[in-house]
Amino acid sequence: MPQNLDVALVERVPLDGPYTTLTFRHPVVARDARPGQFVMIKAGLSADPPLRRPFSILATDAAAGTFSIFLKAVGSESRALAAMETGELAQCLGPLGRPFAPPPLGTEALMVAGGYGIAPFLMLSRDLMGAGGAGRVFYGGRTASDLHLRQPFDALGVPLVPATEDRSLGHPGRVTEPLERYLDSARGPAQLYACGPDAMLHAVARIAEARGLPCQVSLDPWMGCGVGTCLGCVVWTQRAEEPRARYRCACTEGPVFDASIVVWPGETGSSARRGARKGVERT
Amino acid sequence: MNPAAAAAQSLAVEIAGVRLKNPLIAASGTFGYGVEYEGILDLSLLGGLVSKGLFLEPRDGCPTPRIVETPAGLLNAIGLQGVGVRAFVRDVLPRLGRYDTALFVNVCGDTVEEYGEVARILDGAPRVAGLEINISCPNVEKGGMLFGGDPRMTADVVRAVRRATRLPVIPKLSPNVADIALFARVCEENGADAVSCINTLLGLAIDVERRRPKLAFGTGGLSGPAIRPIAVRMTWQAARAVRIPVLGIGGISTATDALEFLIAGARAVQIGTANFVDPGVYERILAGLRDYLTRHGLTDVGQVVGTLEYPGGRG
Repeated sequence: MPQNLDVALVERVPLDGPYTTLTFRHPVVARDARPGQFVMIKAGLSADPPLRRPFSILATDAAAGTFSIFLKAVGSESRALAAMETGELAQCLGPLGRPFAPPPLGTEALMVAGGYGIAPFLMLSRDLMGAGGAGRVFYGGRTASDLHLRQPFDALGVPLVPATEDRSLGHPGRVTEPLERYLDSARGPAQLYACGPDAMLHAVARIAEARGLPCQVSLDPWMGCGVGTCLGCVVWTQRAEEPRARYRCACTEGPVFDASIVVWPGETGSSARRGARKGVERT
Repeated sequence: MNPAAAAAQSLAVEIAGVRLKNPLIAASGTFGYGVEYEGILDLSLLGGLVSKGLFLEPRDGCPTPRIVETPAGLLNAIGLQGVGVRAFVRDVLPRLGRYDTALFVNVCGDTVEEYGEVARILDGAPRVAGLEINISCPNVEKGGMLFGGDPRMTADVVRAVRRATRLPVIPKLSPNVADIALFARVCEENGADAVSCINTLLGLAIDVERRRPKLAFGTGGLSGPAIRPIAVRMTWQAARAVRIPVLGIGGISTATDALEFLIAGARAVQIGTANFVDPGVYERILAGLRDYLTRHGLTDVGQVVGTLEYPGGRG
């Protein structure tokens, strides 16, 4: 069960650009969090802005009773978090949401991250490697200073393929290009995981559909409460067996969704539904 | 505070014949159906809770984006997404039965007849303490604020629900009117047992780069600390206009905020947007209310209700 606590900042590590990692003491998150889950967190009690912010859980240390988040300071709340001093308290509720489902044994996990979407893949990689699995990260950003946390993936022995749109690091261009090239040459079964901007998630979902690969996406819509009451973060979805699409809360039925049930902007139905219809036509 | 003093204090209030162990009620639309908070907070801490608005049938609600923050406020256009009253009675009510808190259900309708029909279904349902009538949602094409913005339509809806149920009937007033006292009186005259005051204020936030509303629906309802002075003023006006209890709502997140409404004349208060911000808000406010009673030598929270000393008897 998630727990609502005032949590002390234990460590703050500023990184290049607007990025910071923050470590807080929260024994329940530290003990129970699964890869892909998140916390709702807010620095102090200021009513402006009023709401907490969702952050993927980057790492946990059950023995120390701590967890970490990776944040990009873009608005007033994330800037307030990034400016916290160690020992100061934040309000935190977690762990929340549906985690990633691990790949079946012998299936390679291909993790596609855009910008701060790298966060949930460190825990997923840790669990994968701990279970004797295999994984690979494709990490895209606008420029080299958007790509952080490469060292911890190295330490886990998970290969990481950077891509930058301004050609400053790794593959010059979009992160989906090295992903497709890798899939063209890969032999074994693979499962895709994606976290990042919506356009990137949609592109990865299309690649998965075209190749018949399972794919889980972690969505990041505006979120009010984190527990399914405000209904602000809903996502339009349709399972194969559902006659019509319906809204599902990203906070409680996600943030991780099977990509095939998401009805992406500009599409009329989900790929799960298209697959089901094809199945009907064949019989 | 010593335990004997705490034991001698009473936070209990009575609204429309319903006894609440304390004056804090979770506001409709900010607390789901209550069950979402199971395991996160003890629902038995609450004096009561009001469900998300329910129509006869399930509703998808508005397209996204549905929420946007504004200075000290939250602008929303959720559009009353919900499971429908029958699914609520069948699936949700049995789960809420184990909690020692008063359950109010927020009743919606596209037509006067639908309000009555939803109320009839709830009349026979177990554990329902009362019905709050939603005549003030700004985010639906039909019903909602259209009913609450017209005294004659307000009267029609209140009468229809009154005829359909023996449960206490509590219309939720719209702040988007010139004279809220008039609407409070219309509700009282047509059989309401209390009024909730207020729903959200109609607002519009614009993305200047795209020159489009930030919310997909267009306009939205503003809530949160930004609206509190307006809500306190309207609660004060409504409480002076009617004899039935007023439930104050609008931007409450601390005991001080709640006390403003009680002093203005509210018999109880509803906590809305603060539920999203901090599930621990009830414990904090209850501790603050007890502390206030102690500091002021009071034994009963009812002793602060309507005690505003307004300068010169104006207003």
